[in-house]
Amino acid sequence: MHDSVNLEAAGIPTVFVASSEFVDAADAQSRSLGADPARVFVAHPIQDRTDAELVALADAALDELLAALR
Amino acid sequence: MSELLDPTSERSAALRERAPRPESLAGVRVGLLDISKPRGAVFLDQLQSLLEARGMTVERFSKPTFTKPAPLDLRHEIATKCDVVIEALAD
Amino acid sequence: MTTDTDRERTAAVTIPDGLVAVVKRDCPTCTTVAPVLAQLASAGALTVFTQDDPTFPEGTNPVDDRNLAVSFALDIDTVPTLVRIEGGAETARTVGWLRSAWEEITGVAGLGPDLPEYRPGCGSLTQDPVVVDRLLVERTVPLLRARRVALGADEDVHEAMDARGWTDGLPVVPPTPERVARMLAGTTRAPDDIVAVVPPDLVECTVEKVAINAVMAGCRPEYLPVVLAAIEAACTDEFNMHGLLATTWFAGPVVIVNGPVTRAIGMNSGLNALGQGNRANASIGRALQLTVRNVGGGRPGEVDRATLGNPGKYTFCFAEREHDSPWEPLHVARGFAPDRSTVTLFAGEGVRGVVDQLSREPESLTRSFAACLATVAHPKLPIVWDAFLVVSPEHARVFRDAGWSRQRLTDEINAILQLDGEQFVQGAGGIAEGMPEAFRATTLPKFRTGGLQIVHAGGTAGLFSGIIGGWASGSVGSEIVTREVTR
Repeated sequence: MHDSVNLEAAGIPTVFVASSEFVDAADAQSRSLGADPARVFVAHPIQDRTDAELVALADAALDELLAALR
Repeated sequence: MSELLDPTSERSAALRERAPRPESLAGVRVGLLDISKPRGAVFLDQLQSLLEARGMTVERFSKPTFTKPAPLDLRHEIATKCDVVIEALAD
Repeated sequence: MTTDTDRERTAAVTIPDGLVAVVKRDCPTCTTVAPVLAQLASAGALTVFTQDDPTFPEGTNPVDDRNLAVSFALDIDTVPTLVRIEGGAETARTVGWLRSAWEEITGVAGLGPDLPEYRPGCGSLTQDPVVVDRLLVERTVPLLRARRVALGADEDVHEAMDARGWTDGLPVVPPTPERVARMLAGTTRAPDDIVAVVPPDLVECTVEKVAINAVMAGCRPEYLPVVLAAIEAACTDEFNMHGLLATTWFAGPVVIVNGPVTRAIGMNSGLNALGQGNRANASIGRALQLTVRNVGGGRPGEVDRATLGNPGKYTFCFAEREHDSPWEPLHVARGFAPDRSTVTLFAGEGVRGVVDQLSREPESLTRSFAACLATVAHPKLPIVWDAFLVVSPEHARVFRDAGWSRQRLTDEINAILQLDGEQFVQGAGGIAEGMPEAFRATTLPKFRTGGLQIVHAGGTAGLFSGIIGGWASGSVGSEIVTREVTR
């Protein structure tokens, strides 16, 4: 989240991807940084997913990611 | 937490504003920043092929560790090579 | 500024007729006279107001005056103070304890038989700057209407303000509600009064918003009236702040302050008057700049399109050196009474120096001034640009000794600066820049009528004066605007 805020401050539109477990943490971190960086959430969990499942998550997230960058 | 009085016309948000977005994503250089958590690379590999299939240029970057913000040199490199950035994947 | 007695006194307070005493527990004399107060109160003849402990003195049914409203209303400087009020008006008063005085005011004989004849009183809390400041803040903060921006726990305050675009690149003082409340004590105007409609976004700007930006700029409360007048002047149609921002030319607002306020707030009109180091000079000009930036939205790279700008766009504010000037003050020359204070705004670029260490006669020094003034913007461009000539004390002495008025000096310079069309048409002198060929047979003045202004400032050593070149003058650009400073 710091990276998003720092890159945005440098003028680079940035979107941050996290698992759905991170919704509250990302909101709190955003507040404490005084910012509202773009963020997209994918379904938790991540670590025990198969490659095929991760590819499917990326496919599903793409439109939302592109929307956050324009 | 300290509280300040807004010195502005209050026509814009009290939070830091996001960077201006490009009018179109056609041909933009996209940075994919891997925060270096396990399994994140698989997700990013797929994003890379999806973005390239749409005609965008993709540059890959990795943070040394997901536990700390990216070092200044890396941020600078990203800022000079990319128009937009996707950072992934936190869990 | 820690007191604002005008505002205190307008607070609604009720003071009953009869005997009124004002006391505090933290005063040995008050505790000494407590039995006397109890005696008078039980007879129903006395109302006691207490400044610190609302249970003191026992047996008097005291009235809580910890907000000091009654103490200020009665102008109490010592406790105990005993006052007789009749028909709403004070008819007698004594301070401290003097038996004979208390007996005379109360009409009761034999008061406090065990007390000494006399004990001096103690200082009233209305005289304590810390207490007065706290009350001021408590009273004013609830009146503030600006959006509260809560900083994140991980945000550094300086970085947070800069990240929100509130600064001019230099650090600013964080505008906390407390600081803004203290700033507002510098004016009698209400926080929600509209000062001006600020360009370029044409935003109605309240006294409170000015106070916030004045805090950030580093102003003290007593500077606020000057800042308010400067903003009023800058936001007039004649001054044309919008155009001044939008131009690619160097200029920004130059604030020249005249009158008693310059001495009262310690402005610099002397050595290094146009330079750094004086808080009032520095922060008043900067408060104007920050208000235009933050409230009006006039930011460089956006509406502000200056090609190069000039360092005076951070702040450019000074006072005229009036006390030993050979001339009447600038504001008097511009039609204001000598006992008034004013700001005069000029759309000016940077300062350039004029050296003349040899002229002892006014005619010679005037020619030096004219030769240098001829180059403002370009030596081949007449009429369009205004200028301020800042005459230093050593140069001014030449004109004083010769008995030259400000008007005479202005007229003599203008008489010299009648430019010949042969010299200023395009191509003349091998320079493409210049006036169209149609002007070849004409003579034009370098400065339009009123376009050259003169002010006295600087240290007493140095045979130098200064020129502040202007911007496009008059209706196509900016008029010089003077506004009175009121509290």
